[in-house]
Amino acid sequence: MRIFAAIFAALLLVAPASAQIISPSEMLRSSVTNFIRPQTKAFATRTADLSKAMHALCENGDLTGAQDAFAEAAAAYGRIEFLRVGPLMEDNRSDRILFFPDRKGIGLRQVQQLLAEADLTAATVPGLQQKSVAVQGFGALEFVLFGTGFETLTTPEGAFRCAYGAAIAKNLEEMAAEIAAGWADPEGIAKRLTQPDPSYADYRTTTESLEAIVGLVSHGIEGVRDTRINPFIAKADGKANPKQALFWRSNQTLPMLKANFDGLRRLIELSSVVTDPALAQEVTAAFARADAAIALVTSPVEIAVADPTQATALNDLVASTQDLQRLIGEDLSATLGLSVGFSSLDGD
Amino acid sequence: MWQRRAFLKSAGAGFLASLAPRQLLALEANDLVFASSIQTFAGKYGAVLMGERGGVISMIDLPDRGHDITISREAQRGVVFARQPGTFALVFDPFGNEAPQTLTSIEGRHFFGHGVFSPDGRLLYATESDFEAAQGVIGIYDATDDYRRIGEFPTYGTGPHEMLLMPDGTTFVVANGGIETHPDYGRAELNLDTMDPSVVFIDRRDGTLIGQLRLDTGLHQLSIRHMAVDAQNRVWFGCQYKGAPSDSPQLIGYATMDGEIRLIELPLDTLRDLRNYVGSVAASADGNTIAVSSPEGDLLIAIDAENKRPVLVETLRNGCGLAADQSGFVATSGKGEMIGIAGAERSQQQFDFLFDNHMLRLG
Repeated sequence: MRIFAAIFAALLLVAPASAQIISPSEMLRSSVTNFIRPQTKAFATRTADLSKAMHALCENGDLTGAQDAFAEAAAAYGRIEFLRVGPLMEDNRSDRILFFPDRKGIGLRQVQQLLAEADLTAATVPGLQQKSVAVQGFGALEFVLFGTGFETLTTPEGAFRCAYGAAIAKNLEEMAAEIAAGWADPEGIAKRLTQPDPSYADYRTTTESLEAIVGLVSHGIEGVRDTRINPFIAKADGKANPKQALFWRSNQTLPMLKANFDGLRRLIELSSVVTDPALAQEVTAAFARADAAIALVTSPVEIAVADPTQATALNDLVASTQDLQRLIGEDLSATLGLSVGFSSLDGD
Repeated sequence: MWQRRAFLKSAGAGFLASLAPRQLLALEANDLVFASSIQTFAGKYGAVLMGERGGVISMIDLPDRGHDITISREAQRGVVFARQPGTFALVFDPFGNEAPQTLTSIEGRHFFGHGVFSPDGRLLYATESDFEAAQGVIGIYDATDDYRRIGEFPTYGTGPHEMLLMPDGTTFVVANGGIETHPDYGRAELNLDTMDPSVVFIDRRDGTLIGQLRLDTGLHQLSIRHMAVDAQNRVWFGCQYKGAPSDSPQLIGYATMDGEIRLIELPLDTLRDLRNYVGSVAASADGNTIAVSSPEGDLLIAIDAENKRPVLVETLRNGCGLAADQSGFVATSGKGEMIGIAGAERSQQQFDFLFDNHMLRLG
């Protein structure tokens, strides 16, 4: 059935693409108006909801509401976190929103220490913003809501923990609003990206702007694989490391991966950058393969990595990222005449 | 600051020693030879040696993508280092008489793509990562004993990239790019908020830190990566900026063994065209001109080392590799082009492979 679904989805994607040829400028405009702006706005909305839910938790003890709002806001971020240009990369927002991977568990230690000391300066947004990036965002909030001692949140004993969590949520809300505003600004990055000009520092030509869009997706896929899947699945020695998975405490590892792929796929589709029908079909099939793999992983990661079917699905997810990188980083770049290429790929 | 003071204190005698530019070696008399890592159109990786006029002398297969190459006439060997976070270095005989030998990084280390030989060719040094500790090291290999790894020195920073031997023959200069990576996470950059790049001078004989120079703290996301030494022993460096792409910090500077470090002021339009990325830095044969490249901005700039101003700005699509020839520089690109700039007398050539980031002139 999944194969039929994939073919059907491929046909849906191909039809509009083959029906019209759209210009690079339109692709850029479409990227911004159909994906980036609405999705950054959705992230702002979800974090505002999260902030409200944290207040409700602290006032009325609605823990489930706050935990659900956390999952929604994290997924909204998962759909845009690969947009590593413009406002997300200013003021360390990317790391402040989600400091991950945290290989040495620095963030966790800092959060635990802050909770143990009931450091009141962390319970206000200005105070929090002076602290380490690792205690400011989703990683810290996940520990507050799901980590050891989360039960105290609904008791007087957990008052500080809740206030700290509310400050994190407010901090996230502020940053998300800044990101949405940055992209909404008619004179900001959206203009530079969609109407490139030789006088701009970031986008001088249409080709460079398109390279940026395709590069974001290509690097986004690489990032998902290298930082979100490979670190916790079984290595060559057969050992998995489920505690290296993002959001294992809240069981949001797979929903977050789903959101990541969803965002990447939507930008590819909504920007209409893939005009070649055969390539579009392959890209759609590769995303469908990723979706199918994710759908098979139904247990918490700790169990999933030890279950043969689910472990195989996770390996298949990695394989789909390799397909996607080749299709988007190489084949799509070639058809668009881009050089998301050899010497300029990344820092060396 | 204590490091800088320590530097000044010890900078007296030893460092002013040799002003003579290091003689580059010649593979064959009266002919320049260039070496570069490459990728074939079919996607395979290798390294090539090319003659003065661009004829390919030999090509070596690599198991994965290579980066920089170093060579020693004394050792009669060249070494191609894997691109980070690669785990191989290939020792080859430029004359092609001996089969290449593959070195593998030891457990807990990977290569960063750069290295040098000792002046007598007996030791090979490579920048490596101690990735569990997130600290850079210089791996030391005994060229007289099958390239056995005999030890390591710290680089006193994270993410070391290019290392050079100063003309005195006893001082290393290393660019600590400041970026933490770990093989568990591919090439993901793990510490952009706390980056601490530096240029360090290290005593080759015992690994002692002679001096460590940092740019202003506001520039902590300016990763110092590639270097070249000019006629006055100034170490010119090129940076890659990891902050917001719409920022345009200055990217080219120099450090001296007297403890000075500064960025030069490129005109803003030229600076913008580097797109926050310098991929390679080279000094001219007389050491009076410095060339830098940006494959991101398709730009090559030649700078007068004395007055610190650009003397030439040229475009080369995906251009990165740079090496001095007798009168100017040879530049290569990820599109397979080779051109001459800043006085080099050579016509544009197109090859049927893609040049990697660095070009080495053997002699």
